[in-house]
Amino acid sequence: MSIVEVRGLSKRYDPPKGVLAVDDASFSIERGEIFSLLGPNGAGKSTTIAMLSCLLRPSHGDALVDSHSIIDDPQAVKSVIGVVPQEIAVYPDMTARENLVFWGRMYGLSGAELQTRVGEVLELVSLADRQKDRVDKFSGGMKRRLNVGVALLHRPSILYLDEPTVGIDPQSRRSILDGILALRDQGMTVLYTTHYMAEAQELSDRIGIIDHGRMIALGTHAELVRIVGQEARVDLTVDHMLEGMVERWKELPGVSSASVEDEHAELLVDDANAVLPRLFEEAAEGGSRITSVNVSEPNLELVFLHLTGRALRE
Amino acid sequence: MTKVWAIAWKDLRSTARNVPALAMMLVAPLVLAGLLGFAFGGGDSFDIAATKVALANEDTPPAMTAGGAAAGGAAAGAEAPPPASDAFVGILTSESLNDVLDVTKVKDAAAARARVDGGDAAVAVVVPRDFTAALYGSGDARSAVELYVNPTQQFGTAITESIVGQALLDFNGARAAAAVAAATAGPNAGSAAAQAAAAAFVQGGGAGEALTFTSRAPRTTGGESDDVPMVGLVLAGMMVFFMFFGASEVATTILTEAQDGTLPRMLTTPTSAATILSGKFMSVFLTVIAQLVVLLAAGVALFGVDWGRPVVVAVLSVATAVVATGLALMIMGVVKTPGQAGAIGSGVYVVLALLGGNFTGTVTPSSAYATVQGLTPNGPLLRAWDAAMRGGSLGEIASYLLVPLAFATVFFVVAGRRLGRRYA
Repeated sequence: MSIVEVRGLSKRYDPPKGVLAVDDASFSIERGEIFSLLGPNGAGKSTTIAMLSCLLRPSHGDALVDSHSIIDDPQAVKSVIGVVPQEIAVYPDMTARENLVFWGRMYGLSGAELQTRVGEVLELVSLADRQKDRVDKFSGGMKRRLNVGVALLHRPSILYLDEPTVGIDPQSRRSILDGILALRDQGMTVLYTTHYMAEAQELSDRIGIIDHGRMIALGTHAELVRIVGQEARVDLTVDHMLEGMVERWKELPGVSSASVEDEHAELLVDDANAVLPRLFEEAAEGGSRITSVNVSEPNLELVFLHLTGRALRE
Repeated sequence: MTKVWAIAWKDLRSTARNVPALAMMLVAPLVLAGLLGFAFGGGDSFDIAATKVALANEDTPPAMTAGGAAAGGAAAGAEAPPPASDAFVGILTSESLNDVLDVTKVKDAAAARARVDGGDAAVAVVVPRDFTAALYGSGDARSAVELYVNPTQQFGTAITESIVGQALLDFNGARAAAAVAAATAGPNAGSAAAQAAAAAFVQGGGAGEALTFTSRAPRTTGGESDDVPMVGLVLAGMMVFFMFFGASEVATTILTEAQDGTLPRMLTTPTSAATILSGKFMSVFLTVIAQLVVLLAAGVALFGVDWGRPVVVAVLSVATAVVATGLALMIMGVVKTPGQAGAIGSGVYVVLALLGGNFTGTVTPSSAYATVQGLTPNGPLLRAWDAAMRGGSLGEIASYLLVPLAFATVFFVVAGRRLGRRYA
């Protein structure tokens, strides 16, 4: 069941001759999934999020968020979304708790409910022990966690995250990605924008690739990879190549081809994870041993290159 | 309404934690008022332009009688002395006082007072018709030189009063000396009579003070013309001026929050743009009210300023805060970045302060400068504060508030439209 239905959404700044930032985008987001918008800087990801957040009015089209139109009923839309902007949009001269109390009031919480949710969110983002410290004394990662926590205060139906890992250290990035996966596991729907291919690949149930305002591809990672029609390539090295081993590998399900040269073999497979254990087993049964493996998966970078003729720079 | 208060409270708390802003809003006006008040109200070594004095000499000496001059004066049959006022005028116009007094002689008292009313002179000195008669006369003859002063130019007034007072003291001393001489010259003269005359002069009674002066200021339309301490007038000017900056400090958060992302984030919550802007308007207003309350209290505690009747002060405070809030918000509606707000806002506030009289004080109503002051949002406010400090009632200051509140209405309309269009 879709929680977001986007129908022909377009945004042109300074019409009629201004930039067409989003061009006739249509997609849906299923309840409980992580949906990523992947594209280079300036592709239209943030404009799409801004329209779905009711910050920008579309030039054309509409979207339903939890059955509420972003054009006809923006206040209802705002009450079911939690938005984590790209920048750290909290008050540095206030404590973590003061920030959450303020933002909770903006989401319409009050009284005991507000205090309870503030406590829960502080625990959720691991800032309970620093709740009385001013935010300007926090590390970058702590600020990011608080930034996410603000958007969770009112238990939104869907969480929008607009490039939340830009410019942060690997450890903080890991923490945020793990947090997002944990939220998904708790049933939260997530709309995530990024220009990092690896993040989209790791997090997403489905990915929309966007470029120059147009949605150029949409699907699961496997579906997108299939667009370029390539299989994973597995390069193997064995201590000694047995007679007939390559033929046996070729017959394994998921292996479409295999070639050998000296102690090295090259196989094309549908799913390297599924095939690799069988390859090890076959080698061991023949008395040989695989000494090195290199798997080259077809990836979104390749997909983007295939679709646009340009590289998706990380 | 809860959200409006939440936004206002959040901004108030941030301002309270912003030490540089507090220094600008609270310390600077007090320090400046103290320094300026000291300089123009109590200092003794300040380089200042000569005080403009309009001098009317209406002295009409009585004809000398054949049988003798006025008592204590010339001997019988002697040539009539020149009018005493000539010497008095000579003192005021002497070259040695050119640096401190810039005297213009006018034909009569009315002309002299008109120059003060018109802002062309700080003090009118009117030598009365009986000046010479009182000096040369006998017994209880008295005469008072009139000083008609601009109450806002207290430094110049004080200088003139001091010089006039000293000159009259000299005249009275001479008169006492003459009395002593007359007492000792007679056939039964003795030291007792001379001592009695001298004592009368020293004690300020009897023959001692034939010449005095009175000082008065023009009546304001509403006030009681009580003297207002210079520091009170200066502090009122500084208070209004720095309230503009205080309001601007908080109003600029609309732009900084837009830049930092917190304002757009607020707009993604189920909070309308109107509510957010109302919260911002409220926070600016409450901040300048708080600033004003602190400055009023500090004025009382540090300088002993009597701001006037409580109800008048309350109404005036709200009106001043409304004007400062509206002006700051309108500027935020016109500019787009905090940098522009700082540069353009500061320029606007300084120009308004110069035009409105925050640095120079109010002037009498008939001058051209007063007309300019009256057409600024702050000038009439300063007049109202001036009137309040003179004990003016609510009805008496009401007329001063019309122009500022009209300005404030325009400010709020412009701010509401422009900011509403920008963030709606």
